[in-house]
Amino acid sequence: MIDAVGGLSGENLRGKGLGEPVPGSNRGLKSLLRMSVQQFAQPNSSANGYGRREVEREGASRVDNKLHSVKSSIGKMANTHYSSGNKFGGFGGASRDRLVYFSTCLIGHHVEIQVKNGSVYTGIFHAANVDRDFGIILKMAHLTKDMSAQLQNTHTDSLGKAFSKTLIVPAKDLVQIVAKDVSVTRDEISNEYQSERQRELLIDSYISRARPDDMERELKPWVPEDNDPHCAELENLFDDHWKSRGWDQFEVNEALFGVKSTFNEELYTTKLERGPRMRQLELEASRIAKEIEREDTRDLHLAEERGINLPESEDVDEETRFSSVYRGRVADDSGYEEEEDILLDIRNGETFDDAASSVIEKVFSGIAGGIDSDDSLLSSRSSMDVPQVSQSKDSANALSSKVPDINDRLLLPDRPTTLSQSDGEIRFQRTITDPHRANTDTSDGDQQKPVPHPKFSGVLKADDSVSSSGGHDDCHNGDGKGGSSSKVTTSTSSQVSMKEQSKKNPTGDQLETQGIPGEKLSVESHGRPGSSVSSTSDRPGRASASAGAGLTPSSSVGSLSSEKSMLNPNTKEFKLNPNAKSFVPSQAPVRPISPVGDSSFYFHANLSGMPQMHGMPVGVGLGPYVAHQPVIFNPQVAPVQSPQAYLPPAGPHYGQPMLIGHPRPFSYGPGFSPEMPYKGREF
Amino acid sequence: MDVASINSNAEEFAIGCFLSIKTTFGDEFKGQVVAFDRPSNFLVLHILFGGGRKNVRILKANYIKELAFLGQGDDPVDLSKCCLDLSTLQAREELALRQAEAEAERIGVGVTAEAQNLFDALSKTLPVRWDKTVIVVMNEVRVNSPYVPESVSGGTPAANERVKKVLELERRRLHARGGP
Repeated sequence: MIDAVGGLSGENLRGKGLGEPVPGSNRGLKSLLRMSVQQFAQPNSSANGYGRREVEREGASRVDNKLHSVKSSIGKMANTHYSSGNKFGGFGGASRDRLVYFSTCLIGHHVEIQVKNGSVYTGIFHAANVDRDFGIILKMAHLTKDMSAQLQNTHTDSLGKAFSKTLIVPAKDLVQIVAKDVSVTRDEISNEYQSERQRELLIDSYISRARPDDMERELKPWVPEDNDPHCAELENLFDDHWKSRGWDQFEVNEALFGVKSTFNEELYTTKLERGPRMRQLELEASRIAKEIEREDTRDLHLAEERGINLPESEDVDEETRFSSVYRGRVADDSGYEEEEDILLDIRNGETFDDAASSVIEKVFSGIAGGIDSDDSLLSSRSSMDVPQVSQSKDSANALSSKVPDINDRLLLPDRPTTLSQSDGEIRFQRTITDPHRANTDTSDGDQQKPVPHPKFSGVLKADDSVSSSGGHDDCHNGDGKGGSSSKVTTSTSSQVSMKEQSKKNPTGDQLETQGIPGEKLSVESHGRPGSSVSSTSDRPGRASASAGAGLTPSSSVGSLSSEKSMLNPNTKEFKLNPNAKSFVPSQAPVRPISPVGDSSFYFHANLSGMPQMHGMPVGVGLGPYVAHQPVIFNPQVAPVQSPQAYLPPAGPHYGQPMLIGHPRPFSYGPGFSPEMPYKGREF
Repeated sequence: MDVASINSNAEEFAIGCFLSIKTTFGDEFKGQVVAFDRPSNFLVLHILFGGGRKNVRILKANYIKELAFLGQGDDPVDLSKCCLDLSTLQAREELALRQAEAEAERIGVGVTAEAQNLFDALSKTLPVRWDKTVIVVMNEVRVNSPYVPESVSGGTPAANERVKKVLELERRRLHARGGP
């Protein structure tokens, strides 16, 4: 029996001789087979077919019944192989070789066997005896078509799909083997294997695909009819056509239902200064936006969005093309990937200990940066007042400086400004191009003149606040790279994975979170806890110019609409007050939690960012449950922890919105108490 | 050194020729000969479909009832590409075995097709397994034959209810589609 012919191609077959003692049991046989096969797979320059055969023969004699001819067959095969020369070709002994080859191709494949009496078995091809006649072994076989006399009743209720773990079919009983979709070359086989392996992971789709008999009707993709007037409407739902018709949903709602909208845009975004320079800014911003949108990308989904037709997009199926998340390593627009991974790691390792710090540094290396702790004034406030900002010169955006390619995106053309805000739109992906560029310790004192980024500058110009650090020639690290501690991230950009974490800010002044979703340039610098003790950080190494990390040209993020991306100069800095009292509810009536079975639990995806609050009343006393209704979450308090899954009780609807107005900043997460001393934070 | 030249019988089985075959069991197919082994009398055929897919049939020539020669083609096998990687094959086999075993567990032994369909339907949303002929849901709720909502027992009341409901709906759906 040949379990698998070790490399039927010429060289491979020159295995070494087998000298192992034969276990003599069936089970041992299998292992023996494997051994023999593996040995065959190893090229052996001293090919001596005859010698080998003899050795094998003696092994064979001790083996069991039907399978006894294993060794000899292998030997014989090897021999015939030899006789036909190194190359697998030619006839003569090769006819058998071909049979052997094809049977080998079938190993591991699903096959259907027909036996003498007409019954058909389906199973996985395991082995074939090609010595004399052609007996085979199947694994996990079951009867598919039963023609044996006694079981003629195909109408039994029973399915009778008993699986035999191993099914041995002697040659005299075998009629034919049918295998579908067989790959016969090595490439095909490995391709097939790879895709099988991938498929093993896609559990969901595998499950749903596995029962095709469940389909209730044949699904056909919808194609729009031509000249269908309605179709045009689909394309431009928000065009002026609709607007000009005079439909204002808010008006209608108010009229019909008395619902007044309380939406105040300025709550969520920076206040636009509608002044004389507005127009100019708008133009600039839209120019930047267009430029970004036209950018080339290799990402399937982005390309789809932009109308770029990637050549590889035709080969993928619909799911991959339109919806799924690509799990492999793909050339992304920038060095985003590794950064993201690292970032995520950082996020998980909430404690910014030394280990993490290095990671952080690496992450933000691209951003160049050393931001000194003591003066890192990277306030995320976009519209940073210059005086405040300028301090961080050194820290500056070395960020920007370090990343030449994105430099131009990050820095204002003509003014040294701290990049901090810059990040308004820091789209993480775009900024980090060279993670290793990092070493930009300010310590090196090297400063690269940050190339002003036209895009960016355009946006921020209005504010006057943005200061990208232009050529700071004296990137002094202040006191030894304490800088490393500060890490700037944007909390806003939807793409940025970093969430604001209530980190101790080294100088306690930067945590400005404008947790505004979508556009904003909120960047907060995070200090490393512990390390960033107020001023002097003992950390050597560079400040993670995290700002850089999050940096993206402000215009990059889609959220940046031309008019609205201005950073709000008037927003207050977020200062985390560790001494804030947790809110403890008065004895609110506790709603009974109805008993629910497993199935009634659900995860409310929207609120996944909701941190666990201590003592927050949600209509029920304390506990992990939070309201599952949409919450007016004050954007200035960005979630500080990675989302925790929670189980809201199904059933009772908690009527109170959880957060109203500006809640005090809470520290979230178990184990935190307001009394916990903040290291190095001064307020 | 052509097999075909050795024996007229074997001539028909020259590599590359297209044949139409009918077996003694009534199977009919057309394929291209890829190999023929006279000692064991096995014929290996490639049955080609569109799109580069091919089925392989290894047939014992004894069982050929009818044979028609359709034409002669070239050797479909590209010998230079024919090398096999043993480890891949073994890995593939293991993978297939794993999947098959998982599949096997989903099939009840000695249960009706209806029961199996119900099991499959339940397994889409609930963790189910077979215990002889009893469907066990979430390791708690048991559904015996004849797998009607009344035969659901066990588990917490809520879980029980749920299983009953799902079972009922699945039955209805199966009947609506004219299932067994």
